[in-house]
Amino acid sequence: MFFEVDVPKRFEIKDRYDIVVIGGGPAGLTAAIYARRAGLSVLVVEKTLEGGYVNFTHLVENYPGFPKIKGEELASRFKEHAESFGAEFVNAEAIKLEVKADKKIVELDNGKKVEAPVVIVATGANPKRLNVPGEKEFFGRGVSYCATCDGYLFSGKDIVIVGGGDSACDEAMFLVNLVNRITMVQLLETLTAAKVLQDRVLSHPKIEVIYNSTVKEIRGKEKVEEVLVENVKTGERKVLKTDGVFIFIGLNPNSKLVEGLVEIDPYGYIVTDENMETSVKGLYAIGDVRRKNLRQIVTAVADGAIAVEHAAKHYF
Amino acid sequence: MGLLSNKDVAYLRDLFEKELEKSVRLVFFKSEDPARCQYCEITEQVLSELVGIDSRLTLEVHDFDREKDLVAKYAVEMVPALVLESEEGKDYGIRFYGVPSGHEFGTLIQDIITVSKGTPQLSSETLKKLEKLERPVRISVFVTPTCPYCPRAVLTAHNMAVASDKIVAEMIEANEFWELSERFGVSSVPHIVVNRDPDKFFVGAYPEREFVEEVLRLAEG
Repeated sequence: MFFEVDVPKRFEIKDRYDIVVIGGGPAGLTAAIYARRAGLSVLVVEKTLEGGYVNFTHLVENYPGFPKIKGEELASRFKEHAESFGAEFVNAEAIKLEVKADKKIVELDNGKKVEAPVVIVATGANPKRLNVPGEKEFFGRGVSYCATCDGYLFSGKDIVIVGGGDSACDEAMFLVNLVNRITMVQLLETLTAAKVLQDRVLSHPKIEVIYNSTVKEIRGKEKVEEVLVENVKTGERKVLKTDGVFIFIGLNPNSKLVEGLVEIDPYGYIVTDENMETSVKGLYAIGDVRRKNLRQIVTAVADGAIAVEHAAKHYF
Repeated sequence: MGLLSNKDVAYLRDLFEKELEKSVRLVFFKSEDPARCQYCEITEQVLSELVGIDSRLTLEVHDFDREKDLVAKYAVEMVPALVLESEEGKDYGIRFYGVPSGHEFGTLIQDIITVSKGTPQLSSETLKKLEKLERPVRISVFVTPTCPYCPRAVLTAHNMAVASDKIVAEMIEANEFWELSERFGVSSVPHIVVNRDPDKFFVGAYPEREFVEEVLRLAEG
């Protein structure tokens, strides 16, 4: 049992900042740290929780300096760091971004409008949905996308994990301590997580992996009772009894805010130059929402630093 | 050794020094029967450590099984239960069922500050909507201590209770009250139930505006 004393602080936000960062994940918080160190005022707009998707990650093992750290602890350290340098925060969703000649206006869902010459989009990505029958209906009735949040509610039960990448394997190793049995359903013929993680999953007696397969349907009465699994190679189908379905099959970029405003690739990722600047001057995109080859905490924080360094030189 | 570390106590002392205005009473209900309340003892311990940090905080401990009048007065249903009362003795309708541990401890700290100041931390838009409320609304937020997204849901609900006399908002620790959780089909948290109607619920982290809209929509339906 632990007692978290950190309290989300409320700031009276101003009408104007040097930089507005939309999204408070590792990328956005790093941008805020660099902005403060460059002497610029900065507001971080975060709709749910600072730290973003890292909060979902059970254990982070590839961030230098921390051989093993809980995702949420790393997330809160990022936040404390930015806060200690005087970054300001608002708990709201940015619903509109307007670009004028030399300024940008961010409209928040609480009705407030904030103006800044430089806006950095760090909106990240959200867990991908499977888009199969039963997924939406049983969300909150056995379908989950957050192991740390919901794992305990499946204590002693049988669950299915969909996916075989880093997230799926990391969460499997967390959940396996709580549940009775895990069946992983992986679309490809191998797991794709980092080798060490794969080894841990594959050698665990309580985890079984079904390859070349996908969940086609989630069924039940009041709550999840079974899933329909299909082998994508042979077409063979079978029904698996289960109490829960955890889905970790990748992420969808949250780029809606800048749709029609900047260049976006066919997958929804925002295209930037090497300075993280989009096709609009003074508008940057960093972190998971940006088109790039590797989406990790280390690359997200690097993006944040590069964007602010460039902005500070060119617009202030 | 205490449940709160020296570092945490120092942090809270500083925070309360800066933020607290009027005094706040923590009205706590427990059962002497450990079989009926596995977590009452630890809850009482952490609360007493907490009120020891600032003289404006006081703890009142009541026996759920014996003090029927008080149980009825506060409409407390199960233990451990915690109610926050202002210096003037106003019960805003804030309830905690279960140990306020993990991330929910931060929620409790924030709530104490809010009750001490007596003003809800909500947008003026939300406050306007709540003024129009005619019928009582009960918001139950099912959480787990390890859910990092849950405190915002509980805080919004508790602030709504502070803003409106018609609203009672309770945090319910889903693991501790698993029978209740089962009855409401809780499998993902935060799971928010309106007026204790199992069909009136929503799941997930909503920003303030959407949270308030969803609660009011379900309450009207």
